[in-house]
Amino acid sequence: MQEAIPYKSQMAARSRLHNFLEGAVNDGGRRLVTNGSGTSVTKLVLENAVIVFGRRGCCMCHVVNRLLLGLGVNPAVCEVDEGKEEAVLNELSIINSGGIQFPAVFVGGKLFGGLDRIMSTHITGELVPILKEAGALWL
Amino acid sequence: MLFFSSSLYISMYCLLPDFKLSNAYNFNLTCTKAASIISSRSMDFPSTLFVPSRTMGTYEPIHQIGLWGENFKSIGSPNISPSVIFDVANKLENESETTSHELLAPSSKYDQEASKPFDKIQRRLAQNREAARKSRLRKKAYVQQLENSRLKLIQLEQELERARQQCLYAGGAIEVGHLGISGALNSGITAFEMEYERWMEEQNKQICDLRSALNAQISDIELHILVESGMSHYLELFRMKSSVAKADVFYVMSGTWKTSAERFFSWIGGFRPSELLKVLVPQIDPLTDHQILEVCNLKQSCQQAEDALSQGMEKLRETVSATLASGQMGQGTYLPQVAMAMEKLEALVNFVNQADHLRKETLQQMSYILTTRQAARGLLALGEYIQRLQALSTVWANRPHGPAKLTVENVR
Repeated sequence: MQEAIPYKSQMAARSRLHNFLEGAVNDGGRRLVTNGSGTSVTKLVLENAVIVFGRRGCCMCHVVNRLLLGLGVNPAVCEVDEGKEEAVLNELSIINSGGIQFPAVFVGGKLFGGLDRIMSTHITGELVPILKEAGALWL
Repeated sequence: MLFFSSSLYISMYCLLPDFKLSNAYNFNLTCTKAASIISSRSMDFPSTLFVPSRTMGTYEPIHQIGLWGENFKSIGSPNISPSVIFDVANKLENESETTSHELLAPSSKYDQEASKPFDKIQRRLAQNREAARKSRLRKKAYVQQLENSRLKLIQLEQELERARQQCLYAGGAIEVGHLGISGALNSGITAFEMEYERWMEEQNKQICDLRSALNAQISDIELHILVESGMSHYLELFRMKSSVAKADVFYVMSGTWKTSAERFFSWIGGFRPSELLKVLVPQIDPLTDHQILEVCNLKQSCQQAEDALSQGMEKLRETVSATLASGQMGQGTYLPQVAMAMEKLEALVNFVNQADHLRKETLQQMSYILTTRQAARGLLALGEYIQRLQALSTVWANRPHGPAKLTVENVR
């Protein structure tokens, strides 16, 4: 008997299917915008199985996106404008009671880490199961 | 090289008519002292100088240092200048006045104090020791000074080279001063180069140890120690690279510190982990099926991570290029663009760090997958692979113009 898919990843799945074609054209993930307000950021984190926050044009963010795309994940990407950086950082820190640096990856509504952690867990083979569990990967 | 044997002289001295043992000790000490002073002054004495016993045997018993100096001259060595001899004479006089007095009139003094020859001998031995100790300290200080000067010289050479290169790139609009030949940058690189030289020596030593250990069939526990020190040695290298990348990231990116063949395979300041895995895994056979699967997965993960980093680098290049080329070109004013591009370029340090992080993680993961013995074979293979690359660089650099001839001389 298969487990019912939890609601939030069901929503994510729907929006992902919807955005899939758009995302494929860009150089990584689905582009999202935030105005830096508290609810907006929290909503984004909860709505998406995988979301990457980074500065606009940041190359490290690009690396994270390419890696996730290479694994078959279509991550949501939130490019933060320079002016709104601090606000977004603050908000994210509140969610996770800790310091956050860009690029910041959230998986399944929780902070996963930065590029360091993505790389380490990918090499040890832990990343893919985590992504699957969060509903970001299907196979 | 000095083939000075003081015992030789004592034995010859015994042959002479008015031999006194105390005189022999005297002469011995004087000769030893003189020898140590002369040796510390000039290292290239001819070996013929001190050896021939027949030559010395023909001379009268020596009671004065001056005469002794003359004897050296008459042996016929053109390399000792009279000044050295007299220097020696002066030195000896300064260090032990009593000794010279006794040499000038040995017989009477010894008759008077025949009751305490032992104390005198002890005293002279002590003075000898003291002189030798002072000599050693002076030598140590001198060597220290030389080391410092050498460091300074390397630093200055680096600065000069960098200044030359910066001048080439500067063009007319930017002052050379702005391009920052800062002391911190150069000392970072100089320090790294010295550290790397030592690291390489230690690396080669560890490779030798691993080789003999694996051939000798030592226990797994002992092998584990070797593997652990090999791993931490590599971690040390990554720490060094991280430190110098902060000072000058282009230095790490260009791989100047490596040999030419190693640079040929360079990817973001070092080897590609997946390439190394391809080279090393066949050397670690036999692997269990489970291990083969894990290594396969690791290879694939490496590949994916490398691709992501490469794409990031590509994006960085595009960004820097676009920033630098923004605005109108042709008027010769471009300081704002250069300033903006510099900001973007700072991300390069992150790339070097991430690439090294990937290398570290791959190394770590391999150590988890493999047994101790397999890990030892892996480290040995890795070390030798690098040695082969370095040998290739040397042979390539020395190749004759024409068809390459691999003779024994040019393959180390």
